[in-house]
Amino acid sequence: MRKAKLRSTMEIKYTIQGLLIYLSIAVYLLAFLAAILGGRKAGRFLHALGSAVAALSFGYRWHHVRHVPLQNLFEVFLCLGMLSYPISRFCRRVLRVGGEHGDMLIGAVVLLPAGFVFSAEPQRLPPALQCWLFTPHVAVYALSYIFMAKATFQAVAQLAGKPASSGEDIVPAELGTYRIVCAGFPLLTLGLILGSWWGKLAWGDYWGWDPKELWSLASWLVYLGYLHFRYMFGKRHARINSLWVVAGMATIVITLFWVNLSRLFAGLHSYAT
Amino acid sequence: MGKLRRAVMWTALLLIILLAVLSAYGAFLGAERAERFFNSIPLTLYWLVLTALLVAGMVLFRRLTRVPGLLLVHLGCILVLAGGIWGSEAVCGLRERLFGISRIRKGQMAIFEGTSERRVMLPEGDQSAELPFQVALKDFRMEYYKPAHLLIQTREGQSWRIPAEIGKEFILDEQLGSVEIIRSFENFKIKEEDGKNVYYDDPLPGYNPALEVQIDPPDDEVRTRFVFELFPGHAHPEDEFSLLYLRVISDYVSELQIIQDNKVVAEKDIEVNHPLYYGGYHFYQHSYDNRAGEYTVLMVVSSTGLNLVYAGYLMLSIGVLWHFWLRHLLGAIELRRAKGQTAQHNGD
Repeated sequence: MRKAKLRSTMEIKYTIQGLLIYLSIAVYLLAFLAAILGGRKAGRFLHALGSAVAALSFGYRWHHVRHVPLQNLFEVFLCLGMLSYPISRFCRRVLRVGGEHGDMLIGAVVLLPAGFVFSAEPQRLPPALQCWLFTPHVAVYALSYIFMAKATFQAVAQLAGKPASSGEDIVPAELGTYRIVCAGFPLLTLGLILGSWWGKLAWGDYWGWDPKELWSLASWLVYLGYLHFRYMFGKRHARINSLWVVAGMATIVITLFWVNLSRLFAGLHSYAT
Repeated sequence: MGKLRRAVMWTALLLIILLAVLSAYGAFLGAERAERFFNSIPLTLYWLVLTALLVAGMVLFRRLTRVPGLLLVHLGCILVLAGGIWGSEAVCGLRERLFGISRIRKGQMAIFEGTSERRVMLPEGDQSAELPFQVALKDFRMEYYKPAHLLIQTREGQSWRIPAEIGKEFILDEQLGSVEIIRSFENFKIKEEDGKNVYYDDPLPGYNPALEVQIDPPDDEVRTRFVFELFPGHAHPEDEFSLLYLRVISDYVSELQIIQDNKVVAEKDIEVNHPLYYGGYHFYQHSYDNRAGEYTVLMVVSSTGLNLVYAGYLMLSIGVLWHFWLRHLLGAIELRRAKGQTAQHNGD
């Protein structure tokens, strides 16, 4: 139930799975180009199309492995790739947050490791992953990560002094960051709780002080700190608010990449490579 | 904001930052050392201060008690911390010293098939304790995904992964020929009969999975090879490739019974993710005899504090969902309804 060796070399996947991933990446990048060249409608259409192709890729993987494909980093990043457009649309329509161009890039960027780095070798589910909590735990985290990635883009826009998009009912970047963090924070909380519950069922400990658990807790605490800081000071220290969110994203990247891939952090989640 | 409330707020922020930093530090220690670190005296004080601060915050900030979502979130955190502290090693030891309540917090027990056991090995060296009842193991088994596979690898780096299906011939290529799986064994043994080696599957307890493989090269005689799951990487010098027997475990199952006063009071087939709960303890499938499959190793964990933690999780979950999502959603629905009614009223 422990480590599988990670093939860390870049490789092109000459398979249907690989083709679908590369197609999604290409469409996302086309969407980004179209959007920055002023073709907003074309950009949105291509963004939706890219997400649809990524969803097809995810569905193909599901059919191929015969279980929900969220077992390893390849599958998790495949899932992240298809969430870009739905979350972008939700943020635009419901939260009134801009930054669509960034969302198109997020879609392409998260698919790059799936397309070129992580092994797509299908693996049977080990006994520990045969739990009904497996899917909601990982899915909820995947959703939260895309939300927080978008929040980071907004935070960076705020730090760069970028004004809100004109012509649409879009909020300024600082408020946009706050709204997105508020949308994603419950998912981050649920991910932590579901993982703890699963740990109790599988290994007898609702908290095993595993490096992954500790980094997940650290991520949650950074956003918790952001919410408390913003409650105390509001928008008076907008740059510090944004830095909180960027720091949160850094802990998420560590949780997602470094913990799984580095030999520095051996633990129960090592199978997720 | 009053001075006291400002101080509480700042302290809360600092404690959150401190815990985030300590969590990152703890990640570098590894699970065992991190557990000792977070249960050390300074960190125990931290947990108590954090819990007290949460309580103080709820007293000083009326908003935390008036706003349902915030009430649930903060109360949930208090319950989680309280449950963790109540079930901690330090408090368990304190209960034993002050009130004589002796309880096994965590340990392991190895039970052979057909026997029962009440002794639990504790994490601290070679100490053990006894449960107030017996745990019996009727049977332990491992289940595998089907089919198993035979991995064939040449020195040049070519590889094939074929299903280990009996009687099916698999053609590799023109130079290497074909392979066929003749038989599979769960407990491979050799005996001599009439001066010849006879290969058989021993029904007695034991565990030596193997495949009998026939290799048919294009320009040579048919050869028979035995591939052992427990002894991978074995290859004959005359062979062009090595063989590997791959089986993936799908489940570990221990058929357990709880015996008290000579009566079976509970029984369950436990697997990973499906423990047995009895007498305030959870029994988890932890490990097994990987040589002969004759005994199982259970993790025994006390449920002290668990209900508090779970209650805290539930409140925290409902609290965040309500405060960040549902109240806004309901507010938006209410607003739309009001707009609709106003438009209707104006139309009338």
